[in-house]
Amino acid sequence: MEVSDRKQSKGKLIASGIIPFVFLIVLVIYIFGPGSDVLDLGVPLPEITMEKIDFVDSEIQVTVRNTGPIPVVIAMADINDRIQPAAVEPDGFLERYETALVRIPFAWNEAEPYRIGLTIEDGTRFEKEVEAAAPALQPTLELVGFFALIGTYVGIIPVMIGLLWLPFIRRISKQKYHFFLALTAGLLLFLGIDSIEEALDVSEENLAGSFNGVLLVTTVIVLSFLGLYYTGEKLVKRAVASTASSRLSKPVAIALMISIGIGLHNFGEGLAIGAAVGLGSIAFSTFLIVGFALHNTTEGIAIAGPMSRGKGAMTGKSMILKLAALGLIAGSPAIFGAWIGGFVYSPFTSVIFLAVGAGAIFQVIITILRWIREEGDKNLSSGSVVSGFAAGMLIMYLTSILV
Amino acid sequence: MNKPRSKIIITSLTVIIAMSALYVAFPETINAQLEGNIFATHSGGVITTSGVVIDPVYTTTTDPEYTEATVEFDPMQYLREFNYGVVSTLPDGKILREFTIIAEDDQIMEVSPGIFFNVWTFNGTVPGPTIRATEGDIVRINFINNGAKSHTMHFHGIHPAEMDGVFEIVGGGGGQFTYEFEAGPVGVHPYHCHVMPLEEHIVRGLYGVFIVDPKEGRPAADEMVMVLNGLDMDFDGENNFYAANTIPFYYQNNPIQINTDELVRIYVVNMVEFDPINNLHLHGNLYYYYPTGTDLVPSFYTDMITLSQTERGIMEFQYEFPGKYLFHAHKVEFSEKGWVGIFQVNDNPQDKKSTEKVDYGS
Ligand SMILES: [Cu+2]
Repeated sequence: MEVSDRKQSKGKLIASGIIPFVFLIVLVIYIFGPGSDVLDLGVPLPEITMEKIDFVDSEIQVTVRNTGPIPVVIAMADINDRIQPAAVEPDGFLERYETALVRIPFAWNEAEPYRIGLTIEDGTRFEKEVEAAAPALQPTLELVGFFALIGTYVGIIPVMIGLLWLPFIRRISKQKYHFFLALTAGLLLFLGIDSIEEALDVSEENLAGSFNGVLLVTTVIVLSFLGLYYTGEKLVKRAVASTASSRLSKPVAIALMISIGIGLHNFGEGLAIGAAVGLGSIAFSTFLIVGFALHNTTEGIAIAGPMSRGKGAMTGKSMILKLAALGLIAGSPAIFGAWIGGFVYSPFTSVIFLAVGAGAIFQVIITILRWIREEGDKNLSSGSVVSGFAAGMLIMYLTSILV
Repeated sequence: MNKPRSKIIITSLTVIIAMSALYVAFPETINAQLEGNIFATHSGGVITTSGVVIDPVYTTTTDPEYTEATVEFDPMQYLREFNYGVVSTLPDGKILREFTIIAEDDQIMEVSPGIFFNVWTFNGTVPGPTIRATEGDIVRINFINNGAKSHTMHFHGIHPAEMDGVFEIVGGGGGQFTYEFEAGPVGVHPYHCHVMPLEEHIVRGLYGVFIVDPKEGRPAADEMVMVLNGLDMDFDGENNFYAANTIPFYYQNNPIQINTDELVRIYVVNMVEFDPINNLHLHGNLYYYYPTGTDLVPSFYTDMITLSQTERGIMEFQYEFPGKYLFHAHKVEFSEKGWVGIFQVNDNPQDKKSTEKVDYGS
């Protein structure tokens, strides 16, 4: 009796969960089907977005996506508002969100501005301006090495340098230590906001309105933050549960989470650098590289922070190996980011990874603040913390003006 | 418990999301390559593509894939088509030429391959039919407006005020009006709708050519009509296409065949709106130009004339050497947007001169 009762109530539970869905589905079917005439007010306007423009040998290639509410046919291409014969691969008919590659043979000149136009079947012309034509990068071994070098300069070396502060941090007083941790949190907060701004810029310039750029960025930031936060908590708990036996002590677990977060962020930075090189602004990217290198030294400090308070076992060879591993986790994604940004740049991936990086940074900030709080007698309002945080933000703002 | 199962579900979900994210991010790398299609660029390069060529090479047969077009227009036919009307003699001995012109404003024209535009038409085409009469003939036009909007026919020329097609608005849905006047003066004139907003009623296509021949006639020639026009596809007050006879690049892709040592006479009418001027440059030759065609003695011998709105005239020339000769707007923006064509000059079959030694005189 009891079992069947429970079964019955379980069935009721499932039914009560499903019924609203059924109504929702009926509503959607009705609106698309018989009810569509009633709601069919207004004229749906076609929209296409030129997501990527590549300048290759005597040819301009446009990756175009149908970002409007109705299918379109790409019918004509022009350069600087002058009609050109062209090819569209695989074909010009684009369903919603479908993409095609338009190849326009054109003897373009390097560093000159071009306006690329595409006309669809109803005569509507869409245009995108390129400020300075630059040849698309080909993934040669030389360039792969070049990007790896940049990634190393920007990611690995500065983080390693930052880690060298470990002995110093280990010796300073608790107040000063908290000052440094708060300083790092301040620096990172600035970087996180910076990433958001860049993600929004890229989506504004290159993604169609239908992607809801701002909401896309927000959603990805929150998901990235929650994912890392959840994983981090689990990792730290496990580390605490098996302190004695495990190689993973709590400070190492926290440092690892910070490294992963920073690594994700550096992936986004690598992407930005690769894209800058790909778009031909090499001079600009030299500045960018110096700026990133300076910023990223502070990331090393963030990792060194928790590691400096490890137990006695954390000395000598194993300590150095662990630090090196953490440095690589945090720094090397910059290399992969540079490769992707340079060779297969797509604004959509850029927006996603910049947002993932921002979410990761916020997770790192929370982790650091909690570490300070645990360390510092459950207090976040001490003079050293507040001044450290403020100093971090100020330093970043001032260096951002210089760079 | 069922933890492993939920792990599998989560893992496979993650994989699916990741795969679809990759597809959104790098779709072109996933599309398979098809076999090659070849096309030539304007500068002579040859490109092979796995996809579809989009080149404004107009064909009069509509692409079966897109059947929206309701207008059938053959620029080559229009070029040499003159309508003399239904001819009868009036009691006073004058010639009466009767025409029926129907206006519509719901026609869809494939103005360039794959590009469709709602044109407003006289007798179903842009430009409307070329109306031709001799000076002193009575022209009677039974005008029927089958459009949704009001339209009229306003002729340039000499006629009574009530035949001017300005204040006598003809309503849509079958409204009628009969225009009747004596053809004159001699020359080439435009006709067009004159309902406000005027610019819209003209650029949508409600115009055509009215030729008045002198009583004594003009020397025999290979005669053609060229209406220089433009199309504003996106209604931003700028033309997206320019052409001689509506279809961009048509006479470039389908050269006009003419003969050496044969007089060619072109009735040119500039109907381009928005841009203050248009012009016509002929390659490898010069032409005698009769502004408005009102005089039988040419005013210029030139290879370049400049035309303002509805400015028109008659060009006469003949080619000595066979071959391909371009003619186009020397405002080259217009020619790069379609106003360009080619005369293919062939050896005249009735001409012995082309095989004999040329006598340049003394
Ligand atoms: Cu009208």
